[in-house]
Amino acid sequence: MLEVNDIVTAYGKIEALKGVDLAVSQGQVTCLLGPNGAGKTTLMMTIAGILRPKRGSIRFNGQDIAGKPARMIVEQGIVLVPENRLVFRDMTVEENLMAGAFSRSDGKTVQSDLEAMYERFPHLQERSTQYAGTLSGGEQQMLAISRALMARPRLLLMDEPSLGLAPLIVEDIFRIIRELNDEGMTVFVVEQNARMALQVADHFYLIEQGKVVFDGTPGEMEEDEVIKRAYLGKKI
Amino acid sequence: MDLVDFVQSITDGLLFGATYALIGIGFTMIFGVMHKINLAYAATSIAGAYVSWAVGTLLPLPALVTFVVAAIGGGIVGYLVYLCCFKFIPVTSPLATLLGTVGMLILIDEIIVHETNGMPQPYPALFDDVYFEIGEFYGIRGDLLFIFFLSLIATAILLYILYRTKLGIATRAVAQQPVAAQLCGISIERTNASTFVITGLLGGLAGAMIGASVGVLSPLLTLPITIKGLIVTVIGGLGSIPGAIIAGLLVGAFENFFQALRGVTERDMYVMLLLFAFLTFRPGGIFSKTTSRD
Ligand SMILES: Nc1ncnc2c1ncn2[C@@H]1O[C@H](COP(=O)(O)OP(=O)(O)OP(=O)(O)O)[C@@H](O)[C@H]1O
Ligand SMILES: [Mg+2]
Repeated sequence: MLEVNDIVTAYGKIEALKGVDLAVSQGQVTCLLGPNGAGKTTLMMTIAGILRPKRGSIRFNGQDIAGKPARMIVEQGIVLVPENRLVFRDMTVEENLMAGAFSRSDGKTVQSDLEAMYERFPHLQERSTQYAGTLSGGEQQMLAISRALMARPRLLLMDEPSLGLAPLIVEDIFRIIRELNDEGMTVFVVEQNARMALQVADHFYLIEQGKVVFDGTPGEMEEDEVIKRAYLGKKI
Repeated sequence: MDLVDFVQSITDGLLFGATYALIGIGFTMIFGVMHKINLAYAATSIAGAYVSWAVGTLLPLPALVTFVVAAIGGGIVGYLVYLCCFKFIPVTSPLATLLGTVGMLILIDEIIVHETNGMPQPYPALFDDVYFEIGEFYGIRGDLLFIFFLSLIATAILLYILYRTKLGIATRAVAQQPVAAQLCGISIERTNASTFVITGLLGGLAGAMIGASVGVLSPLLTLPITIKGLIVTVIGGLGSIPGAIIAGLLVGAFENFFQALRGVTERDMYVMLLLFAFLTFRPGGIFSKTTSRD
């Protein structure tokens, strides 16, 4: 569904991605692991059209989308839940969700999606008229996820959705990822918590210093001694 | 100065202050969305009024239509300012856009001076023959009351757009969190452009109201209105629309009071002192809130 080929993205002269190759298959949950500063966020931002790659191609269902503006990528069906959530703090929960549906023009289905979102996230319904900035971290993450879903993505990108959240909320988020996947959503998620990711992911990539250094199934990952030590701790 | 003069000067000032409120809203909205000051904004506003004056010299317009033409003129000039000073100048050099807008302010001024030989031009007033007496001593000028209500309507329409339409959601989203706005499929460029058009419409209307209540248009208006607009923006708090509205009325009332008390030549000195008082004691403006951006 998504094929990333030899992507190079730089901040000024510093190349944060040095030729990344990976692929995301339709219907799967693909997980990207990597230490801090490896370039995970840079890759997500490049796919989402916020950063322009210097080189390489990104194919989505056969079309090259590398370097296209974010607006067109959303319209193609790729939506990113960004690192640190980035909710619109001075807008209400409902306005955040409506902003998520900006790329859509079908008013009726937007309204029914809004209701569906409230059903999935009852907390958000209770707080629909509250400013997003007043929500807890976990609620803000749920809001960021549902805001992305309001665009009706075909591929959902998530950048460290569990960052800084309590274990129970992290469980919640992974339950939602699984639910979405069961409903047919393709998910590409950046996650530091490999142990949690093992519960949902069909395929893993490991990125270090701007390059993919490992690629395999959960089984293969658990057999790899280096990864086991670095990402899963000793006992598994 | 007795009580009657006091109340009368403040009332007139409050009503006229509605024009400052509109100018302040324009400055503050552009700042809110782009995080940049557009120093050519008040010039845009006066230019809009001049557009309607120019159209009026070609074919006579009813006064109300003049206002509409001024708003449209302001919208067009606002968009041109966006193209020249913001769209193609890299965002990484904030000083470049600032200087660009100074250049634009002077350019607009020069064009006006050139086209009118620097002479003030008559501008049609509306309801200047109406006067409402209130009690024995007080009264309200019909033309001031008219521009006040016109500002109210314009502000209400603006707030409706900002809080009840998709365009408004996009505008506020870009102002608060530009990266997330793009991830929602909102185009920053289009939102910037529409902000310049909307504030231009508002500015053109304000320019017409200023022309109408003074009775003439003159190139000497641009600089004072620029300064008043900036003062209103600072007092209201950069980026705050309610702040701009209240500060506009406040500055209008304040300056008119001191004009009645000390005369027209001294009045602006006191307005400047008000600015310094605010910068010292309430630098964030009336509604000082630190809008956090992550
Ligand atoms: N705006 C920026 N300007 C310059 N360099 C940057 C910028 N953003 C990131 N970098 C650099 O690019 C590299 C990759 O950063 P990136 O944010 O993609 O890492 P990450 O894998 O997401 O890390 P984390 O796990 O901490 O989120 C890092 O070396 C970082 O210092
Ligand atoms: Mg990151």
